[in-house]
Amino acid sequence: MTNQIKTDFDKVIKYLKPPKENINLRKKSLNKFINLGFPQKKEEDWKFFDLNQIISSNIKDLKFFDKELFDKKNKILIPKNALPFKLFEHNKIIIANGAVHTIDFRYEDLKKINITNTAKNQSSNTNHSLAYLNSAFTTNYLKIIIKKNYSLNKPVILYNFTNEKITSTNINQRLDIVLEDNSRLNLINLFTDYSSDNFININHEFKVGKDSILKNYKIDDKENSNIKYFYNNIDLDQNSLVENFILSSGSKFIKNEINCNLQAKYASAFVSGIINLDGAKQHEIKTNINHLAENTKSYQLIKSVLNENSKGIFQGKIFVDSIAQKTNGYQLSKALLLNENAEFDGKPELEIYADDVKCSHGSTSGSLDENSIFYLMSRGLNHKEAKKLLINGFLLDVVEKITDLEIKKLIKEIIGVSE
Amino acid sequence: MREKELEKLKEYKYGFSTDIESIKAPKGLNEEVIKFISNIKNEPKWLLDWRLKAYERLKILKEPDWQKPKYPKIDYQNLYYYSAPKSFKEKPKNLDDLDPKLLETYKKLGIPLQEQKRLNNIAVDAVFDSVSVATTFKEKLTEKGIIFCSISEAIQKHPDLVKRYLGSVIPITDHYFATLNSAVFTDGSFVYIPEGVRCPMELSTYFRINASDTGQFERTLIIADKGSYVSYLEGCTAPMRDENQLHAANVELIALDDAEIKYSTVQNWYPGDKDGKGGIYNFVTKRGLCKGKNSKISWTQVETGSAITWKYPSCILKGDNSSGEFYSIAITNNHQKADTGTKMIHLGKNTKSKIISKGISAGFADNTYRGLVDISRNANNSRNYTQCDSLLIGNKCGAHTVPYIKNKNLFSNIEHEATTSKISDDQLFYCNQRGLNQEEAVSLIVNGFCKEVLQQLPMEFAVEAQKLVGISLEGSVG
Amino acid sequence: MLNIDNLYAKIDKKAILNGLSLKIKPGEVHAVMGPNGSGKSTLANILSGKQGYEISGNVSYENKNLFDLAIEERAHKGLFLAFQYPLEIPGVNTSNFLKTSLNAIRKSNGKKELDALEFLKIVKEKASKLKMDEKILNRQLNVGFSGGEKKKNEILQMSLIEPKMAILDETDSGLDIDALKIVANGVNTLRNKERSFLIITHYQRLLDYIKPDFVHVLMKGKIAKSGCMELAEELEKVGYEKL
Repeated sequence: MTNQIKTDFDKVIKYLKPPKENINLRKKSLNKFINLGFPQKKEEDWKFFDLNQIISSNIKDLKFFDKELFDKKNKILIPKNALPFKLFEHNKIIIANGAVHTIDFRYEDLKKINITNTAKNQSSNTNHSLAYLNSAFTTNYLKIIIKKNYSLNKPVILYNFTNEKITSTNINQRLDIVLEDNSRLNLINLFTDYSSDNFININHEFKVGKDSILKNYKIDDKENSNIKYFYNNIDLDQNSLVENFILSSGSKFIKNEINCNLQAKYASAFVSGIINLDGAKQHEIKTNINHLAENTKSYQLIKSVLNENSKGIFQGKIFVDSIAQKTNGYQLSKALLLNENAEFDGKPELEIYADDVKCSHGSTSGSLDENSIFYLMSRGLNHKEAKKLLINGFLLDVVEKITDLEIKKLIKEIIGVSE
Repeated sequence: MREKELEKLKEYKYGFSTDIESIKAPKGLNEEVIKFISNIKNEPKWLLDWRLKAYERLKILKEPDWQKPKYPKIDYQNLYYYSAPKSFKEKPKNLDDLDPKLLETYKKLGIPLQEQKRLNNIAVDAVFDSVSVATTFKEKLTEKGIIFCSISEAIQKHPDLVKRYLGSVIPITDHYFATLNSAVFTDGSFVYIPEGVRCPMELSTYFRINASDTGQFERTLIIADKGSYVSYLEGCTAPMRDENQLHAANVELIALDDAEIKYSTVQNWYPGDKDGKGGIYNFVTKRGLCKGKNSKISWTQVETGSAITWKYPSCILKGDNSSGEFYSIAITNNHQKADTGTKMIHLGKNTKSKIISKGISAGFADNTYRGLVDISRNANNSRNYTQCDSLLIGNKCGAHTVPYIKNKNLFSNIEHEATTSKISDDQLFYCNQRGLNQEEAVSLIVNGFCKEVLQQLPMEFAVEAQKLVGISLEGSVG
Repeated sequence: MLNIDNLYAKIDKKAILNGLSLKIKPGEVHAVMGPNGSGKSTLANILSGKQGYEISGNVSYENKNLFDLAIEERAHKGLFLAFQYPLEIPGVNTSNFLKTSLNAIRKSNGKKELDALEFLKIVKEKASKLKMDEKILNRQLNVGFSGGEKKKNEILQMSLIEPKMAILDETDSGLDIDALKIVANGVNTLRNKERSFLIITHYQRLLDYIKPDFVHVLMKGKIAKSGCMELAEELEKVGYEKL
């Protein structure tokens, strides 16, 4: 891998032409990645998701350079049906094969939004190997600042699109979003993949200012054979609120990592997610909720429905600093195993250093309750219908946590649940 | 100076040491020391080879470092691996032959070996430093065919049983401390309950570390043959010394078809002083194998002592319909640290496990529950229920819950619940108003918090454990 | 309608029913009384198709072997069980569940499925007859319902489905007198020449409101004594021990 990555890196620099000081940052990052390599099972955070092994057995040869991307004449075409939803009015960011394709904030006051799109990227807040890989290769550094006291009129949909023409097997994407005080943003990440066997490494970092609200919904439901690592870091200031929802079902492998840092009092974070899998898919949601100030609140609800040979993983951690008194932290994970070859692994974790806190977690895993099936069948439903109704009911309360009504409706349609 | 000593003694009432001459192996860990131990114990060759094999393995193993409590590097070459009271070169035939100083020691500990017979229906095996010194009630047990003796004696008298089961649950390759134990273990208890026998009394071992710079490496092996039952208790204390002392025991339990083993521990090793100086490193490997169908192993532990407690009494549920239980109270105060929990490995069909863990943290202490529940592909209709509750007293301490859950079976359920809370002011107020002082109130509330676990202890120990719970938290509420 | 002939049932090798026989003709109301552990609920469970029992003997329903029918087929053919402990099913909306159930049964009988509006009209009407709060329809199925609400919900389902053969498994237990009357009223309104009832109960009180045609005493897994209403009254006076 080392030779390939170095050659590809030189090509990326040649075509991308970042400023000199940025080349140094990228080079440093590259070397750090080469030293560390892809995360492996022996690292505690990757215990259930051996990325190194997954990549080596799913991607024949790793390639990090995609010439197509830099060929200005061949602007990447987005097929009409790649954006299948007849959707509510929204602003658009389209990212195609990892590069920014379209930015369209037609419903907004553009004086209130500051958008930077440059090859000159900033280093990441984190120091894990995949962040270095991202810093070394990402073609666009996209940064959006929502100015003070501005609430967006319409949601933003970030279309993450990949096509089959891509010649690299690795995509890196980076986005920083700053919500200044008392601002508001609803962001939807929609993944549409036509590429296959690609490792997609996405790094999103958010700063949420005082009294601001960020709602972020991630939808990955289109069948594809890619491997995704999605890293989110969210810093929350005083009295801010973050709602984060994940629908994890389409890609072959996904690891979704969410760090919420509740840095000032009255900040709250709500994280919910659905892992709905079939085939031999393996998806993980990993959360780190860090209560770093008093009177902060977090709530997590994750449900997994596991068919066939699939494997669902939830690692969730609530950390409470000794100064974070009066913290309220709650976490619940439930998993349904629907096939004898399915597997659920969990690690719900509490690390608490303050005494005046209310923290709890619960985790259950098992199959559908036979007595409930019996009850429904005694009312005339056949086994399949009873099962469907129960799964529907199992998932419904997660969807109900979504506070944006349009998005709630959309997600209900996608996963086919109804009241 | 003397006053200071007395003050200290009040904090840890077992903190005296006894001036008894002892025979020690030379300091350090090497093949010669292992041969010395094996030789002085007159062991058969297979056991020496087994020890040396473990030692070979130890050379390539690394000390684990994933646990929460960190400790300064242990200099394994600066420890004594064998220490025995001199008067014991010939093992005393009966209690009257015991060194009077030793009897005095056990009296101070509240274990009067001689009076034991009359007082309680408990058979005691006492281990002083690394050597078993006395076993009571022998005749009565022999009538039933029960073997209860030191493991050294068992190696001489029942070599077939020892050879067959030693290392069958904790292999010599297991992990650093378990392997270290296999190489240098000195003594411990051995129990065999024959087929269909219900052991008529509680069996008990009392461990005492006395000599300084001495690691204690006991090895306990309990085998419950088909349809038998035994309840076994383990208690431990150590003198107060400024340096840390290592205790790395291995305990193996084997339950055959329809057998049940109940293993209770009240651990009260010296925890170090208020500033965290001294205390025992309690790095123990305990594992039970439910080998036969319908077998049951139940662990109950009350962990109040030691500077660092690091242990996971586990159950391998191999036989169909077998069940495992783990009831734990871990109390840490001052600078104590505990990282404890269990592993429940479900291999057989219809296997059940239950975990109830209560962690209490005060002062500057850190308390972690860490556990694994693993239901394998073939373990149909298995169940686990886990409940972990933590109580924090003050905001300089920590309470952590780290469960690992693996469910690979469609027909099995795993349920896990955990909470963290503090003693509420309302509860304290209510108790105060009813005339209890702060410490009495805390002791009462904490005992209530631990009730589910305390109930599991045999009666004689439950009373002692309740007192310990109160004493361990003295001074934790301002 | 229902003909139970020499029914034996075991669970985990433990015999629960030991040669129980009972004949119920169309339009008849039978009460089965018995002490705890006499096999009352087992009987109800076996008739509605619950798995896990080792069964021998014959049960015919409308002249067909009942054991050839799957759980939902029994429901489709008009067999209804009001559960002793109705299950709480989180996430499943009560109204949606009732509609799904009713339409599944209608469909299998070649009737037109009801649309949401038609259904709502009927369910509201039935609910008000049972003096049930409509709000219950929008809650999750039995979740957080009081004991009385759960039992009333069972009776609501019965009145919607209009079964041919209804089995009520200790529907009266845990009800206050008002709820008891509502339940009895629900049964009495449905009573007609074709519809049969099997009412399983521990006490006589429900029978004061639903006058059964026959009363049977179930002891140790078989019918120990049969009679009419007087038998129930006698039982209440002298207890099961004396029999």
